Amino acid sequence: MTSADGTGPARGEDVTSVAAERGPLTMAAVALGKDFRLGRGQVLHAVRGVSLGLYRGAVVALVGESGSGKSTVARLLAGQERPTAGSIRLDGAPVELSGRRAFRRHKSKVQLVFQDPFSSLNPVHTVRYHLDRPVRLHQGKRGDEAAREVAALLAQVRLTPAGNFLGKFPHELSGGQRQRVSFARALAARPSVLLADEPVSMLDVSIRLEMLGLLDDLRRRFQLAMLYITHDIASARYFADEVLVMYGGEIVERGPAEELTQRPAHPYTQLLVASAPDPDNLGSTLRGGTATGGTATGGTATGARQPAGTGPAATGCPFSARCPLAEDRCRTDDPPLLRVSAVRAAACWRLDVAAPGILAQSQGGGT
Amino acid sequence: MTGPVLDIKDFSVVYRTPGGDVRAVTGVDLQMNAGEVVGLVGESGSGKSTLAYGACRLLRAPALITGGGVTYRGRRTAGPMDILRLGPAELQRLRWREIAIVFQSAMNALNPVLNVRDQILDVIHAHLRISRDEARDKVGSLLDLVGIPRARLRGYPHELSGGMRQRVMIAMALATDPEIVIMDEPTTALDVVVQRDILAQIVELKERLGFSILFITHDLSLLLELADRIAVMYAGQLLEVGTAHQLQHTPAHPYTRGLLNSFPSLRGARRDLVGIPGSPPDLHDLPPGCPFLPRCGYGTPACTDIDMSLAPVAPASAPGHVTACPFVRPDTPAPPGRPDRPAEASPEPATSPELTS
Repeated sequence: MTSADGTGPARGEDVTSVAAERGPLTMAAVALGKDFRLGRGQVLHAVRGVSLGLYRGAVVALVGESGSGKSTVARLLAGQERPTAGSIRLDGAPVELSGRRAFRRHKSKVQLVFQDPFSSLNPVHTVRYHLDRPVRLHQGKRGDEAAREVAALLAQVRLTPAGNFLGKFPHELSGGQRQRVSFARALAARPSVLLADEPVSMLDVSIRLEMLGLLDDLRRRFQLAMLYITHDIASARYFADEVLVMYGGEIVERGPAEELTQRPAHPYTQLLVASAPDPDNLGSTLRGGTATGGTATGGTATGARQPAGTGPAATGCPFSARCPLAEDRCRTDDPPLLRVSAVRAAACWRLDVAAPGILAQSQGGGT
Repeated sequence: MTGPVLDIKDFSVVYRTPGGDVRAVTGVDLQMNAGEVVGLVGESGSGKSTLAYGACRLLRAPALITGGGVTYRGRRTAGPMDILRLGPAELQRLRWREIAIVFQSAMNALNPVLNVRDQILDVIHAHLRISRDEARDKVGSLLDLVGIPRARLRGYPHELSGGMRQRVMIAMALATDPEIVIMDEPTTALDVVVQRDILAQIVELKERLGFSILFITHDLSLLLELADRIAVMYAGQLLEVGTAHQLQHTPAHPYTRGLLNSFPSLRGARRDLVGIPGSPPDLHDLPPGCPFLPRCGYGTPACTDIDMSLAPVAPASAPGHVTACPFVRPDTPAPPGRPDRPAEASPEPATSPELTS
């Protein structure tokens, strides 16, 4: 594995985040790394050299497949795992996690919402218990004051009237209602950072949008700095300001949500975009016999089917094992995030071939 | 062809519970033609899996089939078979041999202590009378078919990736050359890139081997690309059936319209997304008339009187496109007062002052 020290190459420091337009920097990760020891001397580099910034009132999306390390990033930021490299800063100060008191102080500012509302709520406790506890712990409220706060929290996530929900157990709620309780529980600590790990992917398609709308509403009202982790790049287009694409533990591309999803530069992002089901994609690559058009991947470099079951490469660029553009250099040297424009970067040695239009535009545009 | 390969008529299933019957499937009519991909889309709890499993008699108590008929017409069977009247021996011949299933969770559906080869051999020996050597040859060619290297024959399920496991499931379903393959959310647990690979492979195999597919999912966007015809299910009833093209371009039922407005699109201009407010009804206690009424923006008092039968949207030009809503047509304008994109316009509920930082 490259970067034995875990820090990895320099990561596009000269590229600014569009999320910074929304508000000041709240949380920053610099060259974050996490190795897991698997035993027998084997080490899994789950996260390598990840740098990102979360800004007040802005949504940054972390997009990638399962196993790409995106949840590990969230757990590192939440303080549930200790990084093996790099550092995390919150409100300008380095994050200190030694001892219960420091950990709790961190938790009251940085909250995590999990994917599965079935297993993240305790089945033997009521909604009231789930919300009352963080209100007491993090806000120090008691009695009537705490009860009022709990009712207000339920109103924030639109579970009204609160009286109908306070005494309910998780199994008495629908998936959407359960996830609302998870949001309310996260808000109970009055965090400045909300890390949402696939918050809607377990929910039905028809209510996902409503839940994303609710999250967006909460983001705006409480000016939360939000990290939205998803495998659904289309939802990131609609929901996020900036999108970071992860593959094999590294960020391979970052940029403004609309620009990145419409004109992806990295071959992996291009593959992700081409693979998303999209009915507006006329002449789909599926329905081979009945499709109206021919191939439909619209100018991406990676139309070809990838071999099944190929994981990230152990050396060089993690995507080199699957990348149709990979050459010798890609298999030996891991590319750093290279500046594509003032707000975009991609970790690819072959950007001149993968995204010639984007490069030419940014260089000609005098950025 | 003498008729549809699977003909489900006025089919109903209830779950008997101490609190009363849960009407999981009510009066469903659905036909599948040979070589067709029929998509069944609905939210969780809408009865789509109950319908599919019920039609194959795979449900057990407390599920109870309360009415209707299911007729199967296969190329290998002598004549039409009434599935609901088959005895145990006939059912055993029908299952897997004629109708096979790819389950959603391959990790749970595969036996963790059998390797890939033995899993598939198990299916072959249970349903086909062929020799040991022939069966082994067949396993090899099945793995070739779904693109798994033969080196993985001795692999165990936990050693395979999610996509590989799902390919093993597909190989098992195809082992007996079935007429119909029911796919119950086969790609829901997979990443989009792997999902696309597997779907492309399913379509390719279908073209080559000529089976029909009943594809169950909650993701309408997937079906619009994949299916020939789509049936939209809600609260145990079909609300709209039509070709993928009809549902995408001239959706009639308000629920279908809502579903189409529920997923963000990656390509093209950003659309206004609306979603569907509210949640599905309680199947214990369905209100009279249309079950979608509480969430419907087009609703009128007359909606509680309709009988939910499917009628053609445009009898002359598209007889196969049917809807359960007698009021809304593809050209009906969207009702006023619907929220805009939720990101911009969501009414602010009462906020306690101390929470507003």
